[in-house]
Amino acid sequence: MLQGVQVSRRFGGLRALTNLDFSVEKGQIVGLIGPNGSGKTTLFNVITGFYPADSGRVIFKGRDITRSKPYEIARLGLARTFQIVRPLMGLTVLDNVTTAVLYGRENIKSMARGRERALEILKFLRLEEKKDVPAVSLVAAEKKRLELARALAINPELLLLDEVFSGLNDREIQDSVKLIFRIRDELGITIFLVEHVMKAVMGTCEKICVIQYGMKLAEGTPEELARNQTVIEAYLGKKRSC
Amino acid sequence: MSYVLESIISGLLLGGIYALLSVGFGLTWGTMKVLNISHAVFAVLGAFFAYWLFVKAGIDPILSLPLLAAVMFFVGAIVYKLVILPVTKAKDIVMASMVATFGAATVVENLMSLFWRPDPRVLKPPYTSRSLFIGDITISKGPLIGFAISLCAIALLYWFLHRTYTGKGVQATWQNPIGAALVGINPERVSLVTFGLSIASAGAAGVAMAMIYAFYPSVHSVWTLFVFLVTIVGGVGSVIGSGLAGLLIGFIIGVSAAFLPFAWVNVLLFALLLIVLLFRPEGLFAG
Amino acid sequence: MTGHLEAAKTDYRRFRGKLIFVLVMALLVAFPLVRPPLFFLTLLFSVFMYAALTQSWNLLGGYTGYVSLGHIAFFATGAYTTAVCMSRYGLSPFATSILGGVFAGILAIVVGYPVLRLKGAYFTISSLLLAVVMQLVFLNWEFVGSSTGLWYKLMPLSIEANRTIFYETMLILAMVITLIVRYVEQSRFGAGLMAIREDEDVAKTMGINTPWLKMKAFVLGAFLAGVVGGIYGFYMSYVHPDMTFSMNTSLLILLMSFFGGCRTWGGPLLGAVVLSLANQLIVTFIGAEISRILYGLLLVVVIIFMPDGALQYAKGLTRRG
Repeated sequence: MLQGVQVSRRFGGLRALTNLDFSVEKGQIVGLIGPNGSGKTTLFNVITGFYPADSGRVIFKGRDITRSKPYEIARLGLARTFQIVRPLMGLTVLDNVTTAVLYGRENIKSMARGRERALEILKFLRLEEKKDVPAVSLVAAEKKRLELARALAINPELLLLDEVFSGLNDREIQDSVKLIFRIRDELGITIFLVEHVMKAVMGTCEKICVIQYGMKLAEGTPEELARNQTVIEAYLGKKRSC
Repeated sequence: MSYVLESIISGLLLGGIYALLSVGFGLTWGTMKVLNISHAVFAVLGAFFAYWLFVKAGIDPILSLPLLAAVMFFVGAIVYKLVILPVTKAKDIVMASMVATFGAATVVENLMSLFWRPDPRVLKPPYTSRSLFIGDITISKGPLIGFAISLCAIALLYWFLHRTYTGKGVQATWQNPIGAALVGINPERVSLVTFGLSIASAGAAGVAMAMIYAFYPSVHSVWTLFVFLVTIVGGVGSVIGSGLAGLLIGFIIGVSAAFLPFAWVNVLLFALLLIVLLFRPEGLFAG
Repeated sequence: MTGHLEAAKTDYRRFRGKLIFVLVMALLVAFPLVRPPLFFLTLLFSVFMYAALTQSWNLLGGYTGYVSLGHIAFFATGAYTTAVCMSRYGLSPFATSILGGVFAGILAIVVGYPVLRLKGAYFTISSLLLAVVMQLVFLNWEFVGSSTGLWYKLMPLSIEANRTIFYETMLILAMVITLIVRYVEQSRFGAGLMAIREDEDVAKTMGINTPWLKMKAFVLGAFLAGVVGGIYGFYMSYVHPDMTFSMNTSLLILLMSFFGGCRTWGGPLLGAVVLSLANQLIVTFIGAEISRILYGLLLVVVIIFMPDGALQYAKGLTRRG
């Protein structure tokens, strides 16, 4: 469903991504891990069209989206969340999601229908009680769910999750893992996630890519990687931010 | 041919003055993220002060410059405390500073209109009416003196920023505000000094402008076009950048003024501004 | 059971709101019938005009967060269009106002294409400079009267009839524009604009074509301002770059929107009514410069202390107090 072929991106003299290959098949939950500064968020920004790749291609559902604009990519069915959550602060929770629905792929143009659909999504994420609360007054965990709700609202086929597990306690991590599986199983959405929290990655992903310094270090199932020497070395001595 | 050359030279001289006019604007933007749309209005104020000193007390504008700079610095400090400092506490500093200084500009402009009438004036000490003759080319002394003033003022500013302790503090705050605060530099005091200097330099530039152009309270809007253009082309906060950009803009003005009517030169400048903003907003001479 | 009651309450409120609206409009429309002193017609004309202008600005400025300091350019385009059409070709202003709006819209498309790509600060200053440069061009352009301005005759009716016609026209225009803006606010278009204001990058990931939406808001606002300008130009029977391109009008538009609260359609309306009434009074009885100085100061105060509008600020005070 999503494929990256030799993706490279530099910022001035810094090579953020170098000849990165990756692929995510439909229905999978794939993880991307790596030390801080290894280029994970940059990759997401390249995939979603915020920075163009300097070389290489990004292919989504068979279409080359390397040069596409962010809103075009969203319209094709690729949604993302942000590492530091960015809800639309001045709007209510319901408005946040309604706007996403109205511009999403279900082609809903009527405000009333949009709100109905938004409410359904909020129910799925157990946020419907806070629907009229301004997004700015939510607690951190709720803001994360709102971020997710907004991404789901555009009816994506692929969801890019940027460190959704950071700052959560064990209980919350468990709940979020269940949620991820629900999204994949009930809504049929493929998931590509970037994560630092090892527990969450090991518990959800079928395939994991490891990158370091913008290059692919290894790829495989969680079990394979746990035995991989290079991967273990890459993580030793690095400050874990769980 | 000599006509074009004259135009270019006039343009370059003017460009130097525009550089002084703009350097303070870039400084406040670079150090405090404050976009002072009222910057040019203080240039007009400076022109008025020099004018009154000349007309009422017979003091030559060049001699009045040190006093003028001091007074304008003081004015800048007041404006800083009343307007700029509160703005820096706002959520969106850039937007708040633009809107607030837009208001401030109107206030100062209309105060000048109220007290001094909106008629156009010129600052013309007797020596400005003479001209310099080099071969076929005539250069009037007004622009030359204006340019000389600007050159000195910019050099002074550069010296201050790079060779004095306070000046280096200003640069440090701009490049790394948190780091600067950590080493004990008081950011508010730095901002106050920066803003004061900015307004003082605007005032001096106003005197230089007044020797060439007629000025009146509302002309600051037009001068703002030059300020913004030079700052963007030269790179925000760079004194050398402003200087070079000023000369470049001056050159362009000189060339186009030889062939286009005056108003269209400004359209050209505006178009140039848009092009630079679209393709190289960090400036042609940045870094 | 509760739901039924709630629905009934909302229906009643909506009905009451519409009733109030119709009543107020009826009163305003009928006002000239009582033959009030001309001063009032002039005063209210200016109130309606500012209401219309402020709303047209707020489409982009308040809903999208792209603050334009040069909205006057579109207003002036409209004013000059009717002025030229009337003085050179003797055409009726009410049709040519629409033409003025069209020209303003075209200007917005041409300028908007580069300028709307710029970040907030650059957009704002560019918009300011657009107005400045246009003023300079018009000062030197023979066709529009350069620095003498254009003067043309009013309609061959009594002053009263003239004033009344303009009063009614501007009233209808203000009402129409307010309704348009209100409709946009509550529509999908408005939702998209507000998403852009809150976080433009996030809006893009939501599938919102941000450049297109911004352009639509910009052009619509420009068109409406052009139409308003068209009527105004004819009303004044005189246009001149210094007067018609006045920066002070730009400031007032900004102030009224921020003062009233730029997030909804009611805010600019409230700001326009309150402040243009006050403005007219101050200008008439104290002086133009003092009025501008006061307004400049008020803008500084509003943007620093009450960025969500004076009403919100007052509510906040009473809540804390």
